[in-house]
Amino acid sequence: MKETLFLFLLAMLIGCQPEPDAQRLYDELVVSTSYDKSADFKAYATYALPTDTIGFVSNSSPDTILVASENSFPRPVLDAVARNMNALGFTRVDRNGSPDLGVNVAVVNDFNVFQEIVYPDPYYYSGGFYPGYYGYGSAYYYPFVNTYAYNTGVVIVELVDLKNKNANNEVRVVWTAYLGDVYSTIDLIPQTEAAIDQAFRQSPYLQQGL
Amino acid sequence: MKMLTLILLTFLSTSAFAQGQYFYLTLDFAKPLANTEWIGDMATRGARVGYRSFINDKISAGLDLGWNTYDQYNPTETRETGNTAITTDYFKYIYSYSATVSGQYNFEVGEGDRFHPYAGLGLGAVNQQHAIYYNIYHDSERSWGFLARPEAGILVRLSRYGSFGLMGAIHYDYSTNKSPKFNYGSFSALGFQLGIVFIEL
Repeated sequence: MKETLFLFLLAMLIGCQPEPDAQRLYDELVVSTSYDKSADFKAYATYALPTDTIGFVSNSSPDTILVASENSFPRPVLDAVARNMNALGFTRVDRNGSPDLGVNVAVVNDFNVFQEIVYPDPYYYSGGFYPGYYGYGSAYYYPFVNTYAYNTGVVIVELVDLKNKNANNEVRVVWTAYLGDVYSTIDLIPQTEAAIDQAFRQSPYLQQGL
Repeated sequence: MKMLTLILLTFLSTSAFAQGQYFYLTLDFAKPLANTEWIGDMATRGARVGYRSFINDKISAGLDLGWNTYDQYNPTETRETGNTAITTDYFKYIYSYSATVSGQYNFEVGEGDRFHPYAGLGLGAVNQQHAIYYNIYHDSERSWGFLARPEAGILVRLSRYGSFGLMGAIHYDYSTNKSPKFNYGSFSALGFQLGIVFIEL
């Protein structure tokens, strides 16, 4: 009876605080871009981009790259970036061909697990009952473990100025796009491609010849 | 303190000899009137429950508890700030929970009449949470505020001396809830109630 009342109150509380439907919430990625105001994007003409590999930074995996031969994600993502760069007027060259811009694409993954041990209140607990457990004279109720996990990740696309290295041979990032979350998508690859298109669309200053 | 005790005792003693009472449960539809650029849509999710006791023929007093969820969907748009731009759609919510002590002036009706119009004022507190969801991300801000709620309504008994009836009311809510993050200096809304009432007169 008490459990029923508790569940009823819980349902009331959830009903009082509705949240968006997940299908609608996750059907498109959030696209965020920023650029270096001091960069002269018209001064860049060429770019280099890996053909089959994207970076992978994760707190739950030792892998540092995602390779097209093992994963279906890198190829369409890299193709989408190249298609947009070409459409803006940039020319793709080999990484040894002195590109003006280097394009970095990476997935940053954050995986976390939380666990909590719950000791049932005997008064409310209606489950099993084990007298004299481990020598204790009184009733004992097994604790149970609640496990919560979240796994999130963003795709990062960076344009790196390779043309204007400083005296220490350091480079600077002149444009960055963050696309997320790629771990809660409805359809990962089409949504990521659409997000890449949007990232370039909302960055008209990249257009060559403007 | 003595004055407060005296008022409380007077209220309790008159309540003990109350000529009637009623309990109501209504749906509550509310239209925000503050910062309608953020949420301006009518809230169709809401309810009120309350108990009121008659102190004399014309005056009643009681307690009201209310809940409203205001929400609005913003289709995908690009917002630019300085050298950054963000594109997403937004789901915006205000979760509002209120509790008021209210008093009503009940307009005189004939013995056994089925219609009981009233006008009143509720004063109390409201807890609001402003929240915005976009993809897996969300941001929110919670606040407490003082609530003033003038209200006019009518109780309609379904039969001449029956205890079951319908209730309709219109109310204006003004609360001092602030949410700097979502650009609210206060909150106000116009609400419409429709529901059932159990009357003992």
